[in-house]
Amino acid sequence: MIEEILQKIESAGVMGIKKVDLKKTYGKDSEEIIERLQNEDKVFIEKKGVAYFVWTKDNYISYLTENDPRFKLMLNMVIGVNQSIVRLKEQTHTLRQEMEDLSLQGSEQSIDFETEFNRCLCESGTSVGWAPFSKIREKLCRNTNLSKEKFYALATNLIEKHHERYEISSGGPEGVVVRGLVHGYVRNV
Amino acid sequence: MYAYKLDNNPYPSSPTPTERDAKILGGRRHKEAKSAILECLKELNGKVKGRDSGENDFRTITVIQDVGSGKTHLALHIKNLKGRYNSECSFVDLSTISPKTMSSIYNAIIKGFDNDFFVQLRIKFLEYIKERAEQGDTSAKKGLNYKFVNKITGLTIKQKVDDIITGKQSVSTENLKEFLVHKFNYYESTFIRNVITNSFESIGNLEELLGMISAISKLTQRFLGKITLLEIDEFDGNKDSIEFIKGIINAHLPACVLLLISTPSGYAEIQNINPSVFDRLEKANYKIDLAGSNSVDELAEIIVEYIKHNDKNGKFGLKEEEELCQKINLLYGEFPEFRSVRSIINILYHAMEKSSDLGLEKIDTSVMDDAIKQTYPGLRIKGSIMDVPISDFMAIRKNCDECSNTKELKEAVYNLTNFAHKMGNICKLEKQSLPLDVIYQDPFGAKVGIAIVTNIDKASGLDEISNISKSAVVDKLVILTNQNIPSPYNATIVNVDKSKMVDLIYFNNKYTKKKIVESDNQRAEILARTLNII
Repeated sequence: MIEEILQKIESAGVMGIKKVDLKKTYGKDSEEIIERLQNEDKVFIEKKGVAYFVWTKDNYISYLTENDPRFKLMLNMVIGVNQSIVRLKEQTHTLRQEMEDLSLQGSEQSIDFETEFNRCLCESGTSVGWAPFSKIREKLCRNTNLSKEKFYALATNLIEKHHERYEISSGGPEGVVVRGLVHGYVRNV
Repeated sequence: MYAYKLDNNPYPSSPTPTERDAKILGGRRHKEAKSAILECLKELNGKVKGRDSGENDFRTITVIQDVGSGKTHLALHIKNLKGRYNSECSFVDLSTISPKTMSSIYNAIIKGFDNDFFVQLRIKFLEYIKERAEQGDTSAKKGLNYKFVNKITGLTIKQKVDDIITGKQSVSTENLKEFLVHKFNYYESTFIRNVITNSFESIGNLEELLGMISAISKLTQRFLGKITLLEIDEFDGNKDSIEFIKGIINAHLPACVLLLISTPSGYAEIQNINPSVFDRLEKANYKIDLAGSNSVDELAEIIVEYIKHNDKNGKFGLKEEEELCQKINLLYGEFPEFRSVRSIINILYHAMEKSSDLGLEKIDTSVMDDAIKQTYPGLRIKGSIMDVPISDFMAIRKNCDECSNTKELKEAVYNLTNFAHKMGNICKLEKQSLPLDVIYQDPFGAKVGIAIVTNIDKASGLDEISNISKSAVVDKLVILTNQNIPSPYNATIVNVDKSKMVDLIYFNNKYTKKKIVESDNQRAEILARTLNII
């Protein structure tokens, strides 16, 4: 019975349903049920003209915001606040990411990749100056905790940026990829 | 007729150098390397002159450099040199020998010498035997097949030898062997006999191979007064090659220079496979350093050298040289593909051919573009949104640093916003007297101002622009700049790097000439987005 009454009220939508109509349909007992539902905030009753109307919660809010400018204003404010919170959350997320990136960059800078790379290159080279990238990578990554991928990304940038300072040579098991070819050896010019 | 009024295409087209191509050697580093090798030959030559050579008269030179850097070219150039400080040279490319047996390596060394070398040696050997025969050495006479009947018919020993030299008569192989075995060691006598009879015997093992090479260098010094230069190319981790080289180094070939050519990866292979050979190479007498052989100035010098060598009409002046070097500089800077001697020469070869087809007087950007498209069909300019052709790229980049560029850049941005307006992306507004270059309304109704700043002096009006960002004149201020400027309050700084600059100017050229086609629309839109114009 309760479910039926609730369903009936819900189906009435924003316009609501007259309490007296419910009484006609479900008998006298319905009055007690409606009162209980009202106490549980499941339905809301308001006098419109000479009759009492009943709404479910969502329909009642819609009714109020459509017909009462005060509620409309308040709702807009609440939505605005909600949106601000969402935006704030997004910004916080972005900021956190940027901070993480910055701290990573900072750690890279503190490593001073170029200096470390040059040092390892000097230590790993043969008498003709050529050194395998794999040796440099092993040394540098061991000292700085850089990943292999990060090492080659930084090494590629360094060599491309200062291509007049470094010479690379094809071959070897690993190295920087130029023209689709693995260049596994490097030297200072 | 080719560009610069050249009769021939000066550039080689073969993937690896030939002896003919190697006649020209350009570039400071390559010339320095050549000097170093010649210095080694000169030093050894001076040392062994007028005396028998010994085991201390052996030198090792290494050239370790990347593929396509001109090592083989250098070796072949040295081989072709007439003034090579009294040396005879054999060039051996180990990559062409398979399987690398001692016999095949020996054959390659023999073939690596010029024919003239054996002709000279043969004459000298026969003259030596002739002298002995004339002094009454019966064994020598028998070797020359000089018989009693020759004597009574009036044929002198000299005439007999002359006939042998010209091929009219032949020696007695068995008697020659008998004569030589008493005067020379086994390998020397075998080699002399082989040279005189023009028939080289097969080699069975490393000992024989070393004995024969040693005989060659010793006899070359004794009979021709020359030292021997063995150029071994493509030396790598192949076990047979390593065994052979180790043997040669350990044998201390008399009056001989061993020039070993390898790549860094080949050198590393040798290090891993045979540390003792690697150690010997590390202690080489000369290490030819071609560092910077692929630098832009070296490549430009090499390119120019080819033209100068063929410029009989003197049409390749300083201006032409400068223009060509500028193009090479641009190619080198933008494309890692063109940072080796081999690749840049290949482009120049094709560009020269195109110049001949089109009857051009010089190599211009369009033939370069065609040559690149032909040889590197998939090549694109890195970071280019507008898919700028390489010829346009070179022409625009050439002017990128000039002052007139600011005006061109402003015009390009102005026209890009016009384009975006026509496409319905934005609504352009009157900029009135504001110190901005463009003002428009974005699809959300916000008023956006764009300012272009290409220098940071007072004239740039950066202060005025910064003030706008604080006022409510526009909702959003975008500053397009190629400078490192501090971000004014609430303004968006967009860096216009050289690649974006080229894209903008290329777009503008097309736009003003009304050559924008449908396929450009999307690219122009992306360009506008990257510059915050949309």
